[in-house]
Amino acid sequence: MKLDRRRFLGSSVGVAATVGMTAEWAWPKHSVSYRRPRSAVAVLNADEYSEKIEALLLDGLRLFRLNVLGKTVLLKPNLVEDVPGPVNTSATLVGAAARSFLRLGASRVVIGEGPGHQRDTELVVQSAGLKPHLSERQIEFVDLNRDELRKVKLKANYSGLGELWLPRSVLDADFVVSMPKVKTHHWAGVTLSLKNMFGIVPGMKYGWPKNLLHWSGIHESILDICATVPIHFVIADGITAMEGNGPLQGSARQLGKIVLADDPVAADATCARLMGFDPLRVRHISEGCHFLGNLREDRIRVLAEGVGAPTRPFSVLPEFRYLFAAKS
Amino acid sequence: MAPGLWSDRISSLAETLRSRQMKSGGWAYFDSVQESLEATCLAELALAPERHANSSEAILFLLKSQLSDGGWPAFLGDSEGSWTTALALCTLNSTGDFTAAREKAFRWLYAERGREGHWFWRWKFKTSDRNVRFDPDKYGWPWVTGSASWVIPTAFSIIAIEQFTVCNRSEESEKRIHLGVEMLLDRECVDGGWNSGNSLVYGVPLRPHVEATAIALLALQDEQRIEMVQKSLSWLRQNAASVDSVSSLAWCILTLFVYQESVEPLKNRLATIMGDGREVRNNATLATALLALKCGEMIHPFVVLR
Repeated sequence: MKLDRRRFLGSSVGVAATVGMTAEWAWPKHSVSYRRPRSAVAVLNADEYSEKIEALLLDGLRLFRLNVLGKTVLLKPNLVEDVPGPVNTSATLVGAAARSFLRLGASRVVIGEGPGHQRDTELVVQSAGLKPHLSERQIEFVDLNRDELRKVKLKANYSGLGELWLPRSVLDADFVVSMPKVKTHHWAGVTLSLKNMFGIVPGMKYGWPKNLLHWSGIHESILDICATVPIHFVIADGITAMEGNGPLQGSARQLGKIVLADDPVAADATCARLMGFDPLRVRHISEGCHFLGNLREDRIRVLAEGVGAPTRPFSVLPEFRYLFAAKS
Repeated sequence: MAPGLWSDRISSLAETLRSRQMKSGGWAYFDSVQESLEATCLAELALAPERHANSSEAILFLLKSQLSDGGWPAFLGDSEGSWTTALALCTLNSTGDFTAAREKAFRWLYAERGREGHWFWRWKFKTSDRNVRFDPDKYGWPWVTGSASWVIPTAFSIIAIEQFTVCNRSEESEKRIHLGVEMLLDRECVDGGWNSGNSLVYGVPLRPHVEATAIALLALQDEQRIEMVQKSLSWLRQNAASVDSVSSLAWCILTLFVYQESVEPLKNRLATIMGDGREVRNNATLATALLALKCGEMIHPFVVLR
């Protein structure tokens, strides 16, 4: 048989695909799967950061019938910089979440964050307005950049890092809640509950910023971290979100939503849809749906409100225009 | 606050810091069983003048925890050298002793470089990866081997090498210091000051941080006449007046003192914010604050004496 160029190319692609599938079967990139048949998401409407949020959030959390009785709950907000604007997860929401989990029976709530750029964590906590919420008994803040560390073998192998030193407070928590600020991100496309877990990687070992993760691949590192430290619940701050050149220099975007979910992939897919993006086009979300959670809408049970497309998608840097969902 | 009250405050802060020293001779950042090299070095520098250096448990801890390649890990239990090597060298420099350990540390620092130190990455940053504005020919030191150069590890490394080679400058050390200084100047923010090391991303200027600016200026203490340094000094002076976190304010004092600025009002404010220091749980922060309050009463640990 004569092998022309078209046939050769076709055969090569076929062989490459077969090799790739075999490699994935023989050497899977993840050793865990947290995916369940169905996940639950609730999208709550909230126009502003006010005292009313606490009651709204508590009602929302009750929809999930969470079992946190006697548990240590770690809240992981996204606290990045001591700057004005919608950069950090709102302290009002973080405080409300902490008190809500105590009311649901948690024995202790730890708010933990390791800011990625600003080395002075106290400055970030102060300027984010978190300090008044820490005055209550049973709510404490842990600087994850400087916590006691343990070496952990990663449960996925996308980045090639193999292992990471991670904070004891995170590893010892019974229930991990990722609390991202809904933002666009100039390297990852979006920063939501999965990307938010970069903040558990300790600065004292990996620096400010945690540059080794960038060199190992942002999406790849996100997948490895989230495979190793499972997120049990998500409370995403989409009341005032950020669009454009996020995560620091974008513009405020009034979205008016708090997204709750018992699955980080479902949470991030829902947030991406609320932003007008196709979650399949965000690499760590599309890959994460194979083992970290559910992306498909038919696998996501919506407990409150619906997830409509926004009237206007979030603006992005030109490099990220591919994120936009096709108009139906 | 009268200076007399100040002395009382210094001794109570020193007492608090001393009470948190671990049996090993080191300090953890917080209440944990894991010694941090940063906390240990800063605590030793802050407490050293009050005791005989050679007998210091902290110094013994430092000597024991030096890795065989000459570097120091970020915390005890890790086997990889890190940015804290520069701080450890500064701490040993302050004793004027332990030449062998310091020589090994200098060799480690001399060999360590940001990833742009390799021609391939320099070429990549020059040709395809250009969203962050910087000159990859000007590289310094990384936080951890395998990543790029950043402002704070570069600044501490410059100071440590300058101190160590002050009486014995070589062409190789001069070259490395010069390159580090060039890198810091290249990464300066548009309106002065420094952040972690990204001044312009996607064409948009990023804002500076107080702590990074103060530490970078310490490393540039021999370059005071450069206009860019003066611009950053002016930025720091302005921001020092309003910053009220202990760590950032303490680094402001340590730097402004070196630049012969008046730091008395800032010391007063720092002492007031800190109280007796018990609320400051981070030992590295407590030690930095103690160093700042002692400015003028002891040899500044980050000054390069000529």
